[in-house]
Amino acid sequence: MNSQLSKFSLGKELTPKGKIQTVGIIGCGTVGQQVVLQVASYGMDVIFLDVSKERIKQIFVDLELQLDKIINHWGITASEKRLILSRIKGTMYYTDFSKCDIVIETISSRQRGTLIELRREIFKKVENVVRKDTIICSSLSTLMISDLAIALKIRDRAVGVHFIEPVDKTKIIEVMRCMSTSVKTLETITRFARMINKRAVKIHESPGNISTRILLPVFNEACEVLMEGVASVKDIDDTMKEIMGYHVGPFELADRIGLDKILKYMDNLYAEYGERKYKASPILKRLVRANFVGKYVGKGFYNYEGDKPVSNTISCAIIK
Amino acid sequence: MNIIVLNCGSSSIKYQLFDMPSKKVLVKGLVEKIGLKGSAIKLQREGKDDTKLTGEILDHQQGIEFLLGILISKEYGVINSLDEINAVGHRVVHAGEEYSGSIMITNEVIGALERSTELAPLHNPPNLKGIYAMTTLLPDIPQVGVFDTAFHQTMPEHVYLYAIPYVLYEKYRIRRYGFHGTSHKYVSARACELLKLDIKKQKIITCHLGNGSSITAIKNGKSYDTSMGMTPTEGLVMGTRTGDIDPGALLHFAEKEDLSIEYTRTLINKFSGLQGVSGVSSDMRDLENAAAEGNHRAQLALDMFAYRVKKYIGAYAAALEGADMLVFTGGIGENDTETRKNILQGLEFMGIELDPEKMDVRGEEIILSTPESKVTVLVVPTDEELMIAKDAYEIISAL
Repeated sequence: MNSQLSKFSLGKELTPKGKIQTVGIIGCGTVGQQVVLQVASYGMDVIFLDVSKERIKQIFVDLELQLDKIINHWGITASEKRLILSRIKGTMYYTDFSKCDIVIETISSRQRGTLIELRREIFKKVENVVRKDTIICSSLSTLMISDLAIALKIRDRAVGVHFIEPVDKTKIIEVMRCMSTSVKTLETITRFARMINKRAVKIHESPGNISTRILLPVFNEACEVLMEGVASVKDIDDTMKEIMGYHVGPFELADRIGLDKILKYMDNLYAEYGERKYKASPILKRLVRANFVGKYVGKGFYNYEGDKPVSNTISCAIIK
Repeated sequence: MNIIVLNCGSSSIKYQLFDMPSKKVLVKGLVEKIGLKGSAIKLQREGKDDTKLTGEILDHQQGIEFLLGILISKEYGVINSLDEINAVGHRVVHAGEEYSGSIMITNEVIGALERSTELAPLHNPPNLKGIYAMTTLLPDIPQVGVFDTAFHQTMPEHVYLYAIPYVLYEKYRIRRYGFHGTSHKYVSARACELLKLDIKKQKIITCHLGNGSSITAIKNGKSYDTSMGMTPTEGLVMGTRTGDIDPGALLHFAEKEDLSIEYTRTLINKFSGLQGVSGVSSDMRDLENAAAEGNHRAQLALDMFAYRVKKYIGAYAAALEGADMLVFTGGIGENDTETRKNILQGLEFMGIELDPEKMDVRGEEIILSTPESKVTVLVVPTDEELMIAKDAYEIISAL
């Protein structure tokens, strides 16, 4: 737009140093889309990159659906929805990231394997187009940011972030620093977390961070209890909900995250630590093979109708 | 002395530059859509065409910087240099229990306002942005804060407390604060000035009716009770706010709809009121048009609005043990003659006698009641900006 205002500038320092205005997101799957909405809801511009025009179009349809769902639950107004969408742009080209202050890679983690090479390639492509002080992050739960930082020329800008689903409700982001992460990078990412109404929990990189590492053995143990026929899926969930003060029990949570993802996390942590507590339970493998991979396909440990679990898909043998 | 008055909202800044004490407005207007697409600065100068200048405005500070640049520019300027600005007056929504009057802004005051942000999470942060920006841009010029809550700090304890465990008041300062204080103070004082009466001997009910609405009972020049509470959601039916509601009902629908605290807050503040009931609009004009075409819910929303105001007038007449004046102000109070009539209908028992010839006058200072009326009913257009400039002028002059 032709600016009539800029000539009235008094030449003062306008934008405070380190201000975060634009955030880039690479890979716009379930988590990526939630991050896009979260960032745009708090007033920053977001550019997301995905593979094709059709895919970008589909992502906008998905984003609109998610916002409509929030409107129907009285969370935002229709004009706020328009405002949020006006801050979001989709692209197929890395060069559009040149203005970004932070770029976050959130490529899908449903496939088995670590995709390390692909992620390194992405880091390199991003570094080629962004400013020297742009922070480059990866959303990681069982991988190490060090393994990606080595792909960069300026490594102190690399930091791991783990967005916990559902991203709009959780108040925490796990921030993983590696040996090369600078204090400035950590400060900026902490400020970014605050800007989207979250607390950055800073940790030294460790596969599984805090959340995944503690969650997986609990989940495995729940599978053991189920396999031994001690109790039903629902009774295990209900008991754990009460005792831990959670909103959901381990099975419902696993369904929500996706059993394919959980299996992948298990593989990664088992490979890293070699401990039995991270070895995937046979039930989990069986469900994933049958494509009962969780809420997003309507079947996991539970059958789903809409958002609500309605019945178990698996029952134990001993209880009558 | 030139005083610039700023009223900073989340994405806009209303401004006026006054020459004091002459009250002359040198320029006024709006910085709009800050940080959004289509941002612009609008200017209104006497004897000149209105102007709109467009361009990207990233934040409040940049908006204010451009504004100052425009004020001293050759094309649109009204002053020669920034040295001609002698003070800044800021509208600040919530000052908690800290301040009962306008005050010079110091680091200590900024600290107190930052602490009050918890009580007004939507309004105080943009107000503070305006203060930070001016501190950076014009560091040597005194700034005065004029608070929406200040006028109501005279409410007695039995009026401002909620009937909840007292410890919650002690821990979190949960109590009624009231808002629109600058407006209620201005119109009550102006009404007394017009009628040549001593405000210290009057019982006045002021109705500020706009997109946000509140009503205040003023005894001897001091706020005795007001309809808004800890937040602006309490009291009258508003454009999109519920006003008074049974907290039990709130808990019930929050549970039924499985709403988080955040979503419940949005529901009662942005989806309710005239908009929520009518499903048509939060704007009175739209509702009146829809009602004229037979839309039942639009009529219902209008009836609910007028009824709630009337109910409060009755309550405040009892609380004040009488009323000498009833003052209307705000967008609806000044211009919506139908709503005014609906509110006033049937209040003859209070000693109100209306002059039918004056009932359709809009947007100007006017006495609606007959000389015989026991209660004088008036319309006084509000001028919060002038009030802020006056307070700033008084504080700066006393330095």
